[in-house]
Amino acid sequence: MSDSTTIQVKNLSKTFGKTKAVQNVSFDVQKGRIFGLLGPNGAGKTTTIRMINYIIPVEQGAITINNLPVSPKTQKLIGYMPEERGLYKKMKVGEQLIYLAQLKGLSIGEAKEKIRYWLGRFNALDWNQKVVGELSKGMSQKIQFIATIVHDPDIYIFDEPFSGLDPINSELLKEIIIELRENGKTILFSTHRMEQVEQMCDDICLFNNGKVVLTGNLREIKKNFGKNTVIIEFQGDGSFLDDLENVRINNRSTNFAEIRILDSQSPQDILKKAISHAEIHKFQLVEPSLNEIFISTVGEDNIKVQEEA
Amino acid sequence: MNWRQVFLVLKREYLTRVKSKGFIAATLLVPIGFIAIYGIGILVVVWESDVTYQIGIKDDTSQIVSNLHEQSPEQYLDYSDLSIDSLRTLVQTEEITGYVHIKEENITENVPLELIYGGSGGMTLLASIRSDMRDVFRQEQLRRADVSQEVQDIFATRITMDTRRLSPEGEETEDDTAFLSGVGFVMGFVIFGAIFGYGGYIMRGVIEEKTNRIIEVITSSVKPIELLTGKMAGVGALAITQIGIWLVTLVGLAMLAAPILSSFMGAQGGELAAAESMAEHTDIPLITSIPTIETSLIIYFVVFFLLGYLLYSSLFAAVGSAADSETDTQQLMLPIMAPIFIAYFILFQSSRNPESTISVVGSIIPFFAPIVMISRIAISDVPFWQIGLSIFLMVLTFMGTMWLSAKIYKVGILSYGSSAGFKDLFKWIRQ
Repeated sequence: MSDSTTIQVKNLSKTFGKTKAVQNVSFDVQKGRIFGLLGPNGAGKTTTIRMINYIIPVEQGAITINNLPVSPKTQKLIGYMPEERGLYKKMKVGEQLIYLAQLKGLSIGEAKEKIRYWLGRFNALDWNQKVVGELSKGMSQKIQFIATIVHDPDIYIFDEPFSGLDPINSELLKEIIIELRENGKTILFSTHRMEQVEQMCDDICLFNNGKVVLTGNLREIKKNFGKNTVIIEFQGDGSFLDDLENVRINNRSTNFAEIRILDSQSPQDILKKAISHAEIHKFQLVEPSLNEIFISTVGEDNIKVQEEA
Repeated sequence: MNWRQVFLVLKREYLTRVKSKGFIAATLLVPIGFIAIYGIGILVVVWESDVTYQIGIKDDTSQIVSNLHEQSPEQYLDYSDLSIDSLRTLVQTEEITGYVHIKEENITENVPLELIYGGSGGMTLLASIRSDMRDVFRQEQLRRADVSQEVQDIFATRITMDTRRLSPEGEETEDDTAFLSGVGFVMGFVIFGAIFGYGGYIMRGVIEEKTNRIIEVITSSVKPIELLTGKMAGVGALAITQIGIWLVTLVGLAMLAAPILSSFMGAQGGELAAAESMAEHTDIPLITSIPTIETSLIIYFVVFFLLGYLLYSSLFAAVGSAADSETDTQQLMLPIMAPIFIAYFILFQSSRNPESTISVVGSIIPFFAPIVMISRIAISDVPFWQIGLSIFLMVLTFMGTMWLSAKIYKVGILSYGSSAGFKDLFKWIRQ
């Protein structure tokens, strides 16, 4: 374990009754980086995150944070925004934030100071005396962000952070995450939406069925997949796409397709077929999108991809 | 367990509730509602005797009917001239409630009377007619036997009985059994209501945290057991505040009312029996004739109230954590409701007959004890070993329910989507 390892998950397993929610999961989150936990719903992401947050106990395996086993003490090092999130509707914004900050170990004085800073940054100072139930959805989402980061921890964990957010708050949260990383903080978030991971993550861990199927640096993973994906933009009859063999077509629309070549056939053959049917505007060989990696890893090509990786 | 966290939860639970409009309204309205329910109850009982009926009397002896008519002229009508058939028609057309045909043998040979009536009116009607008939028949029989007025008066006498208590130390005091059994019942009833009321507060609080989806935010800072303890303590403090306000108000009112009442009773008593009793106990001032509630009883009330609250509140929290909305709690509520209601039924027995077997047993079984034992303590001198055993068993049971609830609560608060059944709860407990 290197000094820069902030969260280390080692051989973690968890069963609920007969369901094996998490099986022998291991990954490291490095300090000052953004780590993405990917996978379909029910893959075990939330269970893993809850164990990192010491909400449910670790039974098999180990989780350490800054080399300490998880405990109420390590909880205070983390700012956690769960997937199922909310606030007390009948409490005032200020009171509520103070309460949550105090639970994270801040004194009233510190809490008030930090809250004033963040409310100011979100142009929300006059919400202090408002009851949360009176706020709009977007406004209460901002309060939720403040509640997560107010105690200024070193580690941030967001479970499906963008689900349910309006576009403005999605952008705001992205800015916050990038800014936190610039300040040397460590961020772990889970999602099933690939484009966010591509834009933001340094490292990823891909979950499927309670198991880790792929983990590592995002750049390297993509490089290892090779440039065997074709992006094609065209005008005219797109039915030639249906005649292609040994390919998988992602993101298909009337004049666009992302084609993953599954065998050793040459992209030039595809180009030839395309030209004979439609007018080609763009033809490009690229690294596979994370979406493609995701599908080929957890989907039909599961075994093959694991060999490649 | 980190007590700073528990205290923070306690403080929030207490302050947000005590400042709420609901709490202020409940503090004011519950006593008013209580008085209203009792007032209405008394009114209903008073009004009950007020039945109107008209009974046609065909009297072959012609002596009974005049007495009946004398007694209540509106209710008994002399229809001796009419035939049975026309009386039947009158009943059928509902012009009269019913009729009675009185014959000589009813008086001389005690042959039962027969009331022919439409069938409506209920027990009160029948009881009223029966008692009137008894009176006039006895009167007539006494008249025929030609007994003197003195003997007739003897039949009319009703002896009364006053009661006084003699303590083992030889002290004789006023007996307030009637008053104290009322106090015992009210105290038991208040604990019964409080278990539901404050237990419900806790349950709704837990469900609210689940439906608000704040629970996972909280549990990333606080252990479930700390949250549960803080919640129970916070609502417990709220309960003490509320009951305290009521008690202080009650004592204040009693202190205001005592002089007024005693002067009122003094004025009345002076003319009647007071002359005798004053001669016997000249050293007892009249004011002590107002029953007082002993301090020890109030302390016991607080103790049993708190133990009852603690015993049940953790279970309410467990139910709340297993449910996804308040409407889903019914199935899981049954095992909690059943013992509380059984205790409530035993309370009727124990406030009238505190030493009966069912009262004694009920006051020791932990799930019934808070409601039953307090009524026994109010009325009679319960042996200390029974009180001690009862408290000891309640503390023990509380630890059991708390352990059980904590296990359910820990899992329940994080399971969304569907309400759990008993099968799930058993699984959670074994986890």
